[in-house]
Amino acid sequence: MTEKDLIKRLLKEADLYRTQGLLSDSRSKYVQILSVIGKSETLANHKQLIAGVKSKIRAVDKSLNELRDTPEKPELSEDLQDLIKKLFTFAQTKEAAAIEGAVALAKFGQYDQALKEFHKLLEKGVLPVVTAKNMIKCYAALKTPDAAVAQFAKWRSRDFFSTEDLKYIRTFLKTSLEKEGFKAEIPEIEVKPSLPSKAKKKKEEVFLEISAVTIHLQGGPQAGQTMDFDVHFQSANTVTVLIPAVQKSLADSLAPGTRLDDIQCYSPITVFRSTGTVSGTAMIKQGPRRGDYTLDITIDAD
Amino acid sequence: MAIFNAKDRIIECKLVYYGPGRCGKTTNLEYVFKAFHKQTNSEMVSINTMGDRTLFFDFLPMGLGKIRGCDVKVQLYTVPGQSRYRSTRKMVLKGVDGVVFVADSLDVRRKANLLSLKDLADNLKEEGKSIFNIPLVMQYNKRDLESQGIPVLPLETLEQDLNSKLKVPYHLASALKGEGVGGTLKEALLLTLRHLQKELHWTR
Repeated sequence: MTEKDLIKRLLKEADLYRTQGLLSDSRSKYVQILSVIGKSETLANHKQLIAGVKSKIRAVDKSLNELRDTPEKPELSEDLQDLIKKLFTFAQTKEAAAIEGAVALAKFGQYDQALKEFHKLLEKGVLPVVTAKNMIKCYAALKTPDAAVAQFAKWRSRDFFSTEDLKYIRTFLKTSLEKEGFKAEIPEIEVKPSLPSKAKKKKEEVFLEISAVTIHLQGGPQAGQTMDFDVHFQSANTVTVLIPAVQKSLADSLAPGTRLDDIQCYSPITVFRSTGTVSGTAMIKQGPRRGDYTLDITIDAD
Repeated sequence: MAIFNAKDRIIECKLVYYGPGRCGKTTNLEYVFKAFHKQTNSEMVSINTMGDRTLFFDFLPMGLGKIRGCDVKVQLYTVPGQSRYRSTRKMVLKGVDGVVFVADSLDVRRKANLLSLKDLADNLKEEGKSIFNIPLVMQYNKRDLESQGIPVLPLETLEQDLNSKLKVPYHLASALKGEGVGGTLKEALLLTLRHLQKELHWTR
């Protein structure tokens, strides 16, 4: 192949990649062409060829810069936001679906609208701690630590959450902001003497309806990790969660009798930490979840 | 996760087109929308950014009619291929029933294909699913470019790179021309519905 033919072939490739939007590949090819031309000073129109290829590289660079400057997740129209909520909500209950819809908006970067919806849900008292956590996540993603702290200060002054909840939310806020590289002065929580004792409160809470649990795993293949589970069934202080069939090793590591020293329980009213014991496991033999595992966890009552 | 309404005998399932950026996922759906107009009962939704790049997802609902006494509806989605949209891809994969992996046959996209397939496996794992168990079809797209003198990966290389362990069905395609698009979709639907039939014990 002559140099001229080689350059022609490479140009064809580079131009095609450019039209296909494969800008980095196109740029690399143009740079390769420049190198080939640079070594062939005997080529006719040598200087014009170099100028032409350089101009193409500049155009590709311009497109690459424009692409880089495009907002990662721009604000969408109301219709599209509604569609996102509709398509990415799977919960059966109205309240859980409302939370899930707002979470979906946040996951697709529609933080402002998600915050509006979380505000409404909080006013209605829907899963307040879960909602507050999601609001904090939105503020952190929007990189507005001051707004997050101001919101927390409002919650603190309104007596909306219990002292335990506020402590938990404060820790979550602190961690979330630190993760994003922010250091903020977060108001401390005053302990009110009139509140019921921790032990008494916990005993009341364990019989609450628990919708989800987060378990910090101490053994097995995922030791050190935390796992979130939706609660599928609850009888007093025993909750049943499901483990997918593909996570057999996880199910095996949670044999009956296994102690769980760090369980976070989510109820519609509050979130609290507790301990517990695996009280049963079984493989589902029938139905759409056949092959998955059930895991019974008895949460310590005091 | 497919929704089975036993009372009204309606099954709704979700098929996701996955693959590296600019491999032709949206082009597949655009062709499906045009060619299968009878089955596509509403508009295709695309949320794009500069240069026709998918930013969030494309969405196309289809009705397949009655199969074994059930009204079968399928939702087709594409994911954004660019690496920075991993969290969006994870969201779109939520509740997926079947996957079409669109690989770019261009020689220069070999690494991008491998990274995207690994990303798919990782995201499925986080969804509690395995790439080895989910109904999956490979599509090797842009095969027409070979005739234009553009270097494309030989079929053997694509199979070795992407399908030597999975051993799933593959289709050669040129989505821009519509070649191989219908075949890919039909096979992916067949595998997905067969899988659901077992999962849901779906009988007449």
